[in-house]
Amino acid sequence: MESEIITGQLTSIFRNVFNDETICLNNEITAGDIGSWDSLSHMLMITEVENVFSIKFKLREINKLKNVGTLIELIESKLT
Amino acid sequence: MIFTSFNFLIFFPGVILVYYLLPEKYRPGFLLLASYYFYINITPVYALLLAGITVSTYAFTILIDKTKAEKKRKLFLIINIIITLLPLFFFKYYNFVNNGVFNLLQSAGIRWPLPEISFFLPIGISFYTFMALGYSIDVYNEEIKAEKNFGVVALFLSFFPILLSGPIERATNMFPQFKGRLVFSYKKAVRGLQLMLWGYFMKLVVANRIAILVSNIFDNADLKSGGSLFMAVLLYPVQVYGDLGGYSLIAIGSANVMGIDIIPNFKRPFFATSMSEFWRRWHISLISWLTDYIYTPLSFQLRKYKIWGIVIALMLTFLISGIWHGAALTFIFWGVLQGTFLSIEAITNKKKKSFVKKHNLDKKKWYIFISCFFTYLLFAFSEIFCGPINSMHKAFFVIRKIFTNFGGPLYYYNPSMIIFILFGISLLFFVEWRMEYYKGAFSFLSNKSWVVRTLLYALLIIIILLIGVFDGGQFIYFQF
Amino acid sequence: MINNLKKKVLKNLLLKLFVLSITLVLLDFIIGSLLDIFYFRQESGVLYRTTYAIEKTKEDLLIFGSSTAIHNYDPTIFEKGLKMSAYNVGNDGRSVFYHYAVLQAVLKRYKPKIIIYDFEIREFSKDQESYDRISSLLPYYKKNPEIRPIIELKSPYEKYKLLSNIYPYNSLIFTIGIGNTEFNKKRRGDINGFVPLPNIWNHPIDTITFVNRELDSNKIKIFESFVKDCANAKIELFVVCSPILIEPDYTSNSEMMGEKIAKKYNVNFMNYSKDSLFINNPKLFADIGHLNVEGAKIFSNIVKENIARVSKSLTKTGNQ
Repeated sequence: MESEIITGQLTSIFRNVFNDETICLNNEITAGDIGSWDSLSHMLMITEVENVFSIKFKLREINKLKNVGTLIELIESKLT
Repeated sequence: MIFTSFNFLIFFPGVILVYYLLPEKYRPGFLLLASYYFYINITPVYALLLAGITVSTYAFTILIDKTKAEKKRKLFLIINIIITLLPLFFFKYYNFVNNGVFNLLQSAGIRWPLPEISFFLPIGISFYTFMALGYSIDVYNEEIKAEKNFGVVALFLSFFPILLSGPIERATNMFPQFKGRLVFSYKKAVRGLQLMLWGYFMKLVVANRIAILVSNIFDNADLKSGGSLFMAVLLYPVQVYGDLGGYSLIAIGSANVMGIDIIPNFKRPFFATSMSEFWRRWHISLISWLTDYIYTPLSFQLRKYKIWGIVIALMLTFLISGIWHGAALTFIFWGVLQGTFLSIEAITNKKKKSFVKKHNLDKKKWYIFISCFFTYLLFAFSEIFCGPINSMHKAFFVIRKIFTNFGGPLYYYNPSMIIFILFGISLLFFVEWRMEYYKGAFSFLSNKSWVVRTLLYALLIIIILLIGVFDGGQFIYFQF
Repeated sequence: MINNLKKKVLKNLLLKLFVLSITLVLLDFIIGSLLDIFYFRQESGVLYRTTYAIEKTKEDLLIFGSSTAIHNYDPTIFEKGLKMSAYNVGNDGRSVFYHYAVLQAVLKRYKPKIIIYDFEIREFSKDQESYDRISSLLPYYKKNPEIRPIIELKSPYEKYKLLSNIYPYNSLIFTIGIGNTEFNKKRRGDINGFVPLPNIWNHPIDTITFVNRELDSNKIKIFESFVKDCANAKIELFVVCSPILIEPDYTSNSEMMGEKIAKKYNVNFMNYSKDSLFINNPKLFADIGHLNVEGAKIFSNIVKENIARVSKSLTKTGNQ
C-alpha cells in the first residue's frame, strides 16, 4: 500500500479516536502535539489501526515508535 | 542520614568538594563509595540487602543478553523479578499477608501458626526495587544492552540523591551519564542549588509545619469538629506535596550539582483540571514507571476489549500503586479509588470533550478554577486512605463526621501555626502560579540582576531559619 | 586557554558564594539581634515565664515540673499556709532536662528553702520529643553557661547551629511579637506562674491501658543530679506524683525508679496518683491528666498540709 493511502486512513482513525476533526498528520507528529493522545487513548488508536489494516503488532514494536512517521513505516512493513 | 539532617549539610559539600577535586575517571567510583557510605549510615545491614539485589540484577541481565532462546530469556527475567521482589514482599507485606490469612483461617476455624515479625522497613527498598526491575525488563525488551561494568549497575541502584525517596530513575537515562563525561557545569550547578534551596523550603517551611496541625487533628479525630477535620483533609495534600515534592527537588538538585540529570517528579500538580491530568503532574517518575512496565503491557494484552481493556488495565495498575504505597487495606482502597477516577474519566472523555468544545469552556477562567478545585477535592478525600489514617473504619468515620457534624470550634493549634501555614502556602502557590501561567521555571529566582538573586537566596534561607520546622520541638507552644 | 576559562568561572562562583555568605551572616545577625532584644523585652506569656524561671525568681518555694506542675499547684496556697514566698516554674511539655537546667540557673543566683518536683507517670520514658523540646532553652545559651551541657544533649550539633543568631528564635517570631503587647498580659495571665484550668472533664471515662516504656538512662541520671544538687545546697526537696483521673492498671516503672532515687537521698516522695479523692472524680479534672482550678485548690492544700507536717526545716524553725 502506498504511504499516502496509509496516511489518509491513519488520519481518519486519529480524527475518530482522538475526537478532533482538525487533525492533519505528518511524519514528525508525536503524542505531545495532539491534545487527546495520551496513554489512555493510545491503545485505542493502536487497536483501531490493527483492525483497519488487518495487522497485528507486537508490544516491542509499539514501544519503539517515536512519531507518526515510524508508525507509518511499521504499518508498511506489516503489509508487505 | 536524611536530607534535612545536619549531617547531610556536612556530608553533601564534602562529597562535592572531593568529587570535583578528583580526576574525572575516578568520579563514578567515588560516587559509589559515597552512596554506600550514605546508606550504611542509616542501617548497615540494609546495604547488604541492596548489594545482594545489585549482584542478582547484574548477573541475570547479562544472562538474558547472552541467551538467544526466547523461553530461556523469559525464564531468567522471571527468576530475577522474583528474587528482586522477595525482600520487598518480606519486609513490607509479610505481616499484612500474614494477618490477612490469619483472620481468614481463623474465621474458618484453622489458625495460622507463624508469628508476627516486626521489621523495620529498609528505607529506600521500594524505590531501588522498582529501578532494578525496570532495568531487567528493559534488557529483556532490548531497550538497553546489559551493562558489563558492575560498578555502573551498583551506582545506578545506590545513587544517594535518589536512593531514599526517588525519583525512580531508568537505566536508559542514568547509565550513559555515569559512563559519559562527568564535568562541572556552572549552569547545572547553580540550577541544582536553586532546586535544593526551594526543596528545603517546601519540606521544612510548608510540609513539616502543616504536618504538626494535621497529625494533631487526625490523631484526635473523635474530639475535633467536622470543620477541623475538613480543614485537615484539605491541607494534607499540600503537606505530602511539600514533603515528597520538596525531597524530590533536593534529590534532583544535588544530582544536578554533580552534573547529573534526573527526571522531574512533580509539575505543579494542583493546577490539574482532571484526575488524568493530575496523574501526569504528581509523582511522575512512579506513574511513568507503572505506565511503561505495567499499564502499557496490560492494556496491550487486553486491547481487544477496547475501552473495557483500558479500564481493567487502569484498575490493576493503580491497585499495584496502592500496594506499593503501603501494606494495608487503606492503601489498596486508595489505589482502587484512583483507578476508578481515571476509568470514569476515560469512559466519559469523548462526551466531555464535545461538551467543553461546544460551550468553549476550556477558555473560561471560572471553568478552569472549578475543575482544579474539584480535582483537588477528589484527590484530597482519596488521600485520607493513603497514609494519615491507618484504618478503613477510622477513615470513614472522618468522612462521615465532615458531612454530618461539621460545626464546632475550628482547631488551629495556636495563632503562629495558622500564620506560618498561610505564609508558606501563599509563597508556594505564588511561585507555582507564576511558573504555570507565566512560562519560565522559577521566574523569580531567574531575575536578571545578580544582586536581586543573591538577596532572594539569602531571604529564602532566612525564612527557612525563621519558620522552618527542623524537629519535634515545636510542641512547646501548644495551647492547652 | 580552557584552563584560564575554568579558573575564571571558578573564581566567579567562589566570589558569588562569598558575597551570598556575607549577606546571610549580616541578615542573620541583624534579624537575630532584633529577635533577641524583643524576646527578653516580653513581660507576659509562656516565653516570659521561662525567662522568669531562669533569670528572675527569688521565691523561697519553687514548684518544678511540666504541665501537671503548672496546672495543679497554686503557689498562693503554699504562700499562705507555709508563710513563705512561692512561685510555680512548671511549664507545658517540658522534661527533666528542662527542670535540671532551670535548677542550675536558679542555684547560680540564690538558694530556695523548699522545692516541689512534680513527678510524672512517664517521667523517665525514652522519647525523642523530650530532646527536641530542649529548644525552649536555646535563647538562654549565650547568657547562661551553666545550662549549656543540657542544651548540648539535644544534639551534638547544637553549638554549631547556635552560631546563627536566628536559630534560637525559630518559629517564635509571632509569639515574641504578641508577647510584647499589653493585650498579652490579659490573654496569658498566670498567678505566680500557676495557670489554672477552668473547664471540667465531661467526656466518658474509659479504662486506658498504660504501658511501661523503655527508660532513658540520661533522664534518670539527670534526675539523680537534680536530687543531689538540692541536697548539696541544703534545699528541702519534695517529689510529688500528681493525681490522675483514671487509676492506672499497672505500676509505672518511672515512679518505681524515682522513688528508689528519692529514698537513696532521704528525700520525701509523695505519690497521689492513686489517691481515692481524685480517682474517677471528673469534677476535679480538666482532662485525664490535669486538675482544673477546683481540683488544683484541693490538691495544693493537701500537699501544703503534708509539707507542713513533714518538713524538717519548717518544724525546726517553726511557722513564722
